[in-house]
Amino acid sequence: MMKRRTYLRGCFALLLVASLSWASAPRAESIEESARVFLDTLSGDALQSLTVKDVPRTERIQKFRKLFNNYFAVKTIGRWVLGRNWRKATPEQQKEYLGLFEDLIVVSYVDRFAQYTGNGIKVTKTLAHNEKVATVYSEIAQPNSTQPVRVDWRVGYRKIGNKILDVVVEGTSMSQTMRSDFASIVRRNGGDIAGLITVLREKTTALKKEASAQ
Amino acid sequence: MQRWSERNIGARLAVVLLAAVLVTGCASAPNPKDTAAVAEYETLNDPAEPTNRAIFKLNKALDTAIFKPVSSVYKDYTPGIFQKGVHNLLNNLRTPIIFANDLLQGKLQRAWNTLARFFINSTIGFAGLGDPATDYGFKFHNEDFGQTLAAWGLPEGPYIVLPIFGPSNPRDAVGLAVDALIDPLNIWLSNTNHEELIFARAGVRGIDERARNYDALEDLEKSSLDFYASLRSLYRQRRSDDIRDGEPSANIPMPGLSDIMPGIDPEEEPGADLGQNVPSRTP
Repeated sequence: MMKRRTYLRGCFALLLVASLSWASAPRAESIEESARVFLDTLSGDALQSLTVKDVPRTERIQKFRKLFNNYFAVKTIGRWVLGRNWRKATPEQQKEYLGLFEDLIVVSYVDRFAQYTGNGIKVTKTLAHNEKVATVYSEIAQPNSTQPVRVDWRVGYRKIGNKILDVVVEGTSMSQTMRSDFASIVRRNGGDIAGLITVLREKTTALKKEASAQ
Repeated sequence: MQRWSERNIGARLAVVLLAAVLVTGCASAPNPKDTAAVAEYETLNDPAEPTNRAIFKLNKALDTAIFKPVSSVYKDYTPGIFQKGVHNLLNNLRTPIIFANDLLQGKLQRAWNTLARFFINSTIGFAGLGDPATDYGFKFHNEDFGQTLAAWGLPEGPYIVLPIFGPSNPRDAVGLAVDALIDPLNIWLSNTNHEELIFARAGVRGIDERARNYDALEDLEKSSLDFYASLRSLYRQRRSDDIRDGEPSANIPMPGLSDIMPGIDPEEEPGADLGQNVPSRTP
């Protein structure tokens, strides 16, 4: 029994060393390396859990929700997207908003996420902005073009693990775009958060209905 | 029978635009006492929002009726190699404009790249249908006169939505017109009485572009609460990226940095944010 455990541990250590040297990182202490490895893991995980054929849609949504929560700083992004309106919201509104925010992204991107992260993702460089945030620059091959799409991943670096803070496609930040989108709704509702939550609720309900009809 | 000239269309367009502005008027400015609202209004820089939204609605209807179905058929029912060829050809035909704007911005390295691409692709690339230049390390980049004006320090001005062309600003609208007017191929076609080919090329370019952005636009509309506002933000970010030639900018705000979101510390609840099943930092 003891022998077996030692043997397994040896195997594991060997695997670890192999995977590290495969990523050509003798000492993966840097934030940049950590972010790059993190993105690799995400890419593999997305391919594995999202590209399985003949899986019912509800199950795919479930899988994507889990993946999204595992790899993205959902609350941090959600709060930032609401901007200065976050502090105007009551705790109940904040809670409902975050749930709807997650729903909106999950149902909107469940079909295409694997496409964005899976095949042909090539990391071009990694840059640490400070001790907390790094950007992994990548290129994703396009089926009908010689020009790949540039996708930058903002990765927040914390002791507990890495989380994506933003995805920037060809220079356009998804978080920034959503922030402008949501701000416009709040403004058109006379600065009322309740108005935004109503619109969010209607939108996610419609998207879910559409999704289950497929 | 009077022939259609670009000037004629331009004049008519100007009249329609002016009429639209007069009818719908401008967005009402916020209460000057509400400093946060004033700051927001200035950042939005969209004083003609009601007019812009009206034109946006018109464009959306045109897209639903014509551009979207046509590009959908093009995307799904023509061979990929054909679409690739068309795209390469359009890029190659755009060379004079890109080259001129490279030079006007004093970017000699990029101008040389554009020229090298043109000679490689026009010869061994079968008159521009192929793109062997990319394999030789000469990658495509775009330039336009709107970017040149930006490089010269001209501000973008307020956001405007152009009929058919969509999101823009005065600087980019001028750029669009200048690029069309100085295009040698357009001048030649115009001089040989083949204006219809100018429009044909513009049409094909529109379909190529629409088909290429099909999925992205679909996703954006799906996830947007106010598609108009999302596109406005997207357009500005995209143009600023174009002007920087895709170079990373330190000034892009992002979630998770406390200085951008005062009052909320990103470390406030690190545990709540991060689930259990996370690939941990490499040892």
